[in-house]
Amino acid sequence: MVGKNGNYGDVYIPGVPNSRYAIQQDPNAGQLKGALLKDIARSVYVYRVDCGGCNGCEIEIFASITPLFDVERFGIKVVSSPRHADVLVYTGAMTRAMRIPALRAYHAAPEPKICVAYGACGSSGGIFHDLYCVWGGADKIVPVDVYIPGCPPTPGATIYGFAMALGLLGQKMKAVHHVQEDGERAQLRYPELPSGLRVGIEREARRMAGYLHGKTIADSFLDIVTTNQNDGFEKVDQEIQVYLEKQDDPRLTEIFTRLQEIYHAERK
Amino acid sequence: MLKLIKEVLRVGEATLPYPFAPMEMMPGFRGKPVHDPELCIACAACAIACPPNAISITTDLDQGYQSWHLFVGRCIYCARCEEVCPTGAISLSPNFELAVMNKDDLREQADYQLAACSQCGIFFAPVKEIEYMLAMLQQSGASVENVAIARQLLSVCPECKRKNDIPKLASLYQNNSVSQEAV
Repeated sequence: MVGKNGNYGDVYIPGVPNSRYAIQQDPNAGQLKGALLKDIARSVYVYRVDCGGCNGCEIEIFASITPLFDVERFGIKVVSSPRHADVLVYTGAMTRAMRIPALRAYHAAPEPKICVAYGACGSSGGIFHDLYCVWGGADKIVPVDVYIPGCPPTPGATIYGFAMALGLLGQKMKAVHHVQEDGERAQLRYPELPSGLRVGIEREARRMAGYLHGKTIADSFLDIVTTNQNDGFEKVDQEIQVYLEKQDDPRLTEIFTRLQEIYHAERK
Repeated sequence: MLKLIKEVLRVGEATLPYPFAPMEMMPGFRGKPVHDPELCIACAACAIACPPNAISITTDLDQGYQSWHLFVGRCIYCARCEEVCPTGAISLSPNFELAVMNKDDLREQADYQLAACSQCGIFFAPVKEIEYMLAMLQQSGASVENVAIARQLLSVCPECKRKNDIPKLASLYQNNSVSQEAV
């Protein structure tokens, strides 16, 4: 499907950015795709187009065809030519240099075809969305049927996305819009503890374990403290000991010992 | 051959049953960020931290709204938002089943009211953020009078505060110069 002037892509729509490369879909495309999914009596062949990604998505696609996840049990097979493909998987942000090869792959695949935008970059440009050479996700160039976000999507997410593209599973995500109600207030964290103690423990845990893990460690420590401090401070120390023995992690023990010192100092 | 069959029987089936059975995720797996709009104070710490700008904040000064937006399609699951959130309103869940047919289903939005300045009437900060600060102040042991004073101070926008300070500063300067002349 080469345009009149020999370019790939069909029509130029004035006022619509990038539309020189926009594709006009067959008006019956939806019907044809439905027929493809319904009457397909063979395996689904997948062709993978890397438009400028970091290869993380490719690694996850290949992880999902390993025996552990094994998408081939559903007949999903990765092929090496778009001419054999029923499904085109676009990975990576759509870069300026790869827009023509992406279109060539699209036009080379026989109709009807299903396009999948794979990964954060394929869905929207991802972390590269504002780069000078990045046009956005795959949907800037080709009509996309299914978006599989993830950076990269795990093999589980890949299986789920393909199952959705083939109409086997339903969509679980939906748009959410919350509007603040009158009198809606954010609750304080650990209101039963003095704020100095909470801040001291959180700071020390984050200093020792890094921000994300420090937060989870501080939270588990403060949870033990708040649930047991009414039964006396000995009970808190006892529960901490039980918790540490269950976790059996010397690093956690060291951090908890330090947090306990802060807690003891504050208690006096 | 028999040896091979024996080995196969010994190893058993390696393939995971997903999607026919739920997939077990490892602890610490970072999936979809879950936002609790009740806990959020619209402070925009997550929007500043977010490396791919998946979280963004828009302010509507005419209507007095601050909107928090999350576009999961751009999220890289780094958990920086979880790190910086002061109220624990956002955390990464083990949910990985995020594929959608319609891109807009990847969007989340939460609108928060802005407080208007008691002097000039211009919207300047989210109501929930101010209330959260006052609650923190109270928790840290400030007296009721001090909290009331803080509430009054927090009802004025920074611009008006600056304007209020000018006469005070000027009188301070005058007093100083007078005392210097006396010396």
